[in-house]
Amino acid sequence: MSTLSVQDHGVAHHEDDHGQHHHKATFLNTYIFSQDHKMIAKQFLITGMTMAFIAMILSILFRIQLAYPDKAFPLMETLLGRFAPGGRLDSNFYLALVTIHGTIMVFFVLTAGLSGTFANLLIPLQLGVRDMASPFMNMLSYWFFFIASVIMLSSFLVQKGPASGGWTIYPPLSALPKAMPGSGMGMTLWLISMVLFIASQLMAGINYVSTILNMRTKGMDLWKMPLSVWALFLTAILGVLSFPVLVAGVVLLVFDRSFGTSFYLSEIVLNGTQIQPYEGGSPILFQHLFWFLGHPEVYIVIMPAMGISSEVMSVNSRKPIFGYHAMVYSLIGITVLSFIVWGHHMFVTGMNPFLGGVFMITTLIIAVPSAVKTFNWLATLWRGNIRFTSAMLFAIGMVSFFISGGLTGIFLGNAALDINLHDTYFVVAHFHLVMGSAAIFGMLAGVYHWFPKMFGRMMNERLGYLHFWLTFIGAYLVFFPMHFMGLDGVPRRYYAFTEFESMKQWLSVNTFITWAAIMSGVAQLAFLYNFITSIFWGKKAPQNPWEANTLEWTTPVEHLHGNWPGEIPTVYRWPYDYSKPGAEHDFIPQTVPLSQTMSSNLPHDFEDNPVGLEEHTKWANTQKSNEEVK
Amino acid sequence: MGFKNLINSKKILSLLAVFMLLGTSMLFAQGTESAGATASPAADAVKDNGLATAGYYILLFLIVCFVIGIVGKILRVFDLTQQIQGKEPINWNNVMGICCLIFLIAGAYGAYWEFTVHGSMILPGAASEHGVKIDEMFWTTTVLTMIVFVITQILLFTFLFRYRYNAKRRGHFLPHNNTIEKVWTIAPAIVLTVLVIFGFFTWQKITDNVDAKGEPASINIDITGHQFAWELRYPGKDARLGATNYKLVSGINKLGINFKDKYSYDDLQADTMYLPVRKSVRLNIHAQDVIHSVYMPHFRVQLNAVPGLPVFFKFKPTITTAEMRTKLDKPNFEYEILCNKICGGSHYNMKKIVRVVTEAEYQAWLSQQKPYLTDGIKKDLKFAAEKKEVQPNRLALNN
Amino acid sequence: MMAKIQQEDRLNLAPKKFNMWIFIFTSFMFFAALTSGFIVYAGGSSAHGMNMKLPDAFMYSTAVIILSSITMFLASQAARRLQFAKQRLFLWLTIFLGIAFFAIQLYAWYYLVTKMGVYFSNPNASQSFIYVFTGMHLLHIFAGLLLLANTLWRSYRSIEQVKNLYSMQMSSIFWHFVDIIWIYLYVFLLLNQQ
Repeated sequence: MSTLSVQDHGVAHHEDDHGQHHHKATFLNTYIFSQDHKMIAKQFLITGMTMAFIAMILSILFRIQLAYPDKAFPLMETLLGRFAPGGRLDSNFYLALVTIHGTIMVFFVLTAGLSGTFANLLIPLQLGVRDMASPFMNMLSYWFFFIASVIMLSSFLVQKGPASGGWTIYPPLSALPKAMPGSGMGMTLWLISMVLFIASQLMAGINYVSTILNMRTKGMDLWKMPLSVWALFLTAILGVLSFPVLVAGVVLLVFDRSFGTSFYLSEIVLNGTQIQPYEGGSPILFQHLFWFLGHPEVYIVIMPAMGISSEVMSVNSRKPIFGYHAMVYSLIGITVLSFIVWGHHMFVTGMNPFLGGVFMITTLIIAVPSAVKTFNWLATLWRGNIRFTSAMLFAIGMVSFFISGGLTGIFLGNAALDINLHDTYFVVAHFHLVMGSAAIFGMLAGVYHWFPKMFGRMMNERLGYLHFWLTFIGAYLVFFPMHFMGLDGVPRRYYAFTEFESMKQWLSVNTFITWAAIMSGVAQLAFLYNFITSIFWGKKAPQNPWEANTLEWTTPVEHLHGNWPGEIPTVYRWPYDYSKPGAEHDFIPQTVPLSQTMSSNLPHDFEDNPVGLEEHTKWANTQKSNEEVK
Repeated sequence: MGFKNLINSKKILSLLAVFMLLGTSMLFAQGTESAGATASPAADAVKDNGLATAGYYILLFLIVCFVIGIVGKILRVFDLTQQIQGKEPINWNNVMGICCLIFLIAGAYGAYWEFTVHGSMILPGAASEHGVKIDEMFWTTTVLTMIVFVITQILLFTFLFRYRYNAKRRGHFLPHNNTIEKVWTIAPAIVLTVLVIFGFFTWQKITDNVDAKGEPASINIDITGHQFAWELRYPGKDARLGATNYKLVSGINKLGINFKDKYSYDDLQADTMYLPVRKSVRLNIHAQDVIHSVYMPHFRVQLNAVPGLPVFFKFKPTITTAEMRTKLDKPNFEYEILCNKICGGSHYNMKKIVRVVTEAEYQAWLSQQKPYLTDGIKKDLKFAAEKKEVQPNRLALNN
Repeated sequence: MMAKIQQEDRLNLAPKKFNMWIFIFTSFMFFAALTSGFIVYAGGSSAHGMNMKLPDAFMYSTAVIILSSITMFLASQAARRLQFAKQRLFLWLTIFLGIAFFAIQLYAWYYLVTKMGVYFSNPNASQSFIYVFTGMHLLHIFAGLLLLANTLWRSYRSIEQVKNLYSMQMSSIFWHFVDIIWIYLYVFLLLNQQ
């Protein structure tokens, strides 16, 4: 952060000139305890990216173990010490790596890093708001997130290692410190970190919802909001309604761990002889509470990516997004349905089979809005005029992954098929494509697209191309073969494939996957290099580099508190007037009134505006008669 | 800016190149040496911690970065000269459009290769009665989804190529089209309804665990998971399993069998799960410590073993191990039970062999298995019984 | 410019109040999750019911908290009518009743443990749930008391009426919510006590 300050001092002074009604801008309140939504967005982005890199390194560590289960890497012992005795990962530590990789990626990167960055950046800028409903809560939300991240990482310093019961932390494994080393102090830190994280997400989500519903600028009715804001809005609603349920689940788990209650524990004998005092608890109860959050959570992850991709694809195809209303309704459909599908994670837990059947129906219904979205994206590209910016490529990658990963969801949502696919590599492949890669690609599309808005400079497009192709191909190489491993009945979270004769045929595939993963990991360095150097030495950005319609591009390139120097612009039209026939340019910003674009107006633009429609027909008639005269 | 000049300075670049070349060749030599050293068992592990190999890879990476940097520079210079000569600079939109097309073709081949090569490595057809239904369901779903997969991906990448940017053209203003939107909402809805109905009935049949009338009773087999092994329990001649209670678990009574229950007297222990072919089996699933999952991929059987929540899965194996061996042409083939729910450090090594045999072989095998009620336990139990007889007296005395 | 931004800040009070409403939804989801957890647990087996009578203390605490809601309402009314002395008086009363509620709940715990032998650490988690419900609710009461104290303190500092009214509204929304949640929990427990 301190290096950033050198660059942006000019901006800080600029703010002062404009009559800051707040305190004087110091280093501390500009860069660290900033209440400005743009700075908070950058903080979320950079923290999220750091966490993503850490989680990626963890994944490469366990991938190396899977590729070379019999080989010792003395360097690993040097780096990891007791976690890799003799240069080979400890099997408990392997599970810890898997667990923390999952937790960080799902929660810290794709929830906080993605929503946190883009909701903070885009909601005020695209809706014409000076700042969030409660800037102070917004700042708190970042700092809770930061502390949660630090605590999560600090669990690597604990003697017995971090939590290692999988990111779903099913009790009894996570509830009994004696069941595995990671369920001791590491699990405690995991729980503390998650409670802080949830607090952060709730504060953030409350702010987003409230800002969107109350503070839109003049003319910005809900049906004029860009899809990115729609997606972030529904994401925030999902978070606000589902995270408290996880808190309830976690609170009960804490009581079981530390106060001797038996909410989740029952009839347990450890190590063959140690009879535990717990009676009557239900481990399934935790799974219900966890997945009531857990399933909406995957939509919390993917919906912002969908919104960002829609926006980026529309801008760069120079075409309105196809079926704007359908896109919004499908988002709403996904939001509502996501609350009643959690049981599909529990088909084989011994849950009532009838319930399983019901959850199967709801789960497969949710595929309909997803399909609509996919087709609409394709229709948006059809007959467009596609500019291949890096952001556009990543948005396209997102669509491709969403199709590939989404289709396998139809297998897993089917209770009968899930019997044999549950917890195999098929699941790993499915969710890494549909919510891992797709969401990361949505996030990267957002970073490339709004980088000029965030940092006032452009990123290097050609490095972006390199980054895209390496990552895109790499991700497919990593996850595509995993489907077949799953179909061969290879379970996930296995430390080595050496103990089962039937799995040995996959050892060479594992080596291949690991190298593909390393390749895509290394490709991220291109992004990192591009990101950092562009912040300092990138080409200066023009005000509207992508010729987009949305409001954020009407703000000055240099940031100032309150976003717009003068009055907040009024909005007159929807955000997708690209390539409108009859218009002078191939884009018409939302701030241009219909009266200034008579030649391009369509009767459709005046749906609930009879006066305007009358004007329009009058104008059209005179045009026609003029032509006749000619 | 200074940094930029530094990068641009040709002298430094060439120096760096020379240094790298020298460095790599030296490290290469070292790398091969150390590789040789690790091969010999007496290698000094403390000294050689793989740093040299890692350094080699890092240098390799730096060279790649360097090459990429040079290519980038060349491209930029090329672009500039083209501009100076008044020619068109590189049209990246065309390049990317072509890349998309190449990806489509290469990807199509890759997917084909995956399906044929890795696709042939998947599980053989189900070896159980209900598994056949699951397989049917699976293949139907696969065909349907693969059609969608191929069509959508082809459309996506051909659109990208076909409609790449052209300054002379404008996009086609098409905000919506209600008819086509209705079509592609209803079409997937219909396909999914078919799948749901199909799946729902399959699921109901599989989970409908009640013995049908007239059908011979299923063989009851208890399987208990604990860290990190499975324990099996077969009923003896009475075809019934004795009661268990977790409070009775001890070193000699691993499953906590209640030996006061007369059904438990002839309960048998087994190391391998033998199943008679074409006989309905009811697998009673228990767990002692944490959640495990009984996963028998060849039979399409999976159910979690949850402590405190006994469940069961009924299925009927249809192919014997011997038949499967000839069918797959693998003389060593065995059916397996895996643990498929994370349960601790040795989760990856929690297996049990399953052998499906003919009825005669099964009976022969069963008669050789030892009962849980060993002499040791008998002695123990008798001892406990005597103690209990003594206790009331003592209580009386205390009063 | 400055005046304008201040004007906007004032308008921002409405979204902040909205924040409170959303928080209430959040909080409600939390209690809904706990109670549905109870239902799932108790429905799991017939032996899992509460199988006990609730102590009478809960009845008294319910009366106290309903009373405090009334005083809270009177305080808001007074604030709206610019009767600041009355506002403070009723705020003091509300805080007092809130503390009384707190104390009665603690007494109920004491009674449960010593007189009825119902412990938190209990093989029948239905009974542990009583502690979880009341404990989590007490956390909310505690937060509500802090909010009330803040409002009271602000009213002594004689801030602008807009802000006074705003902080009054914030704390009253929350306090009424906490009250309603307790009634919900109490009724829920009453229905399940056999």
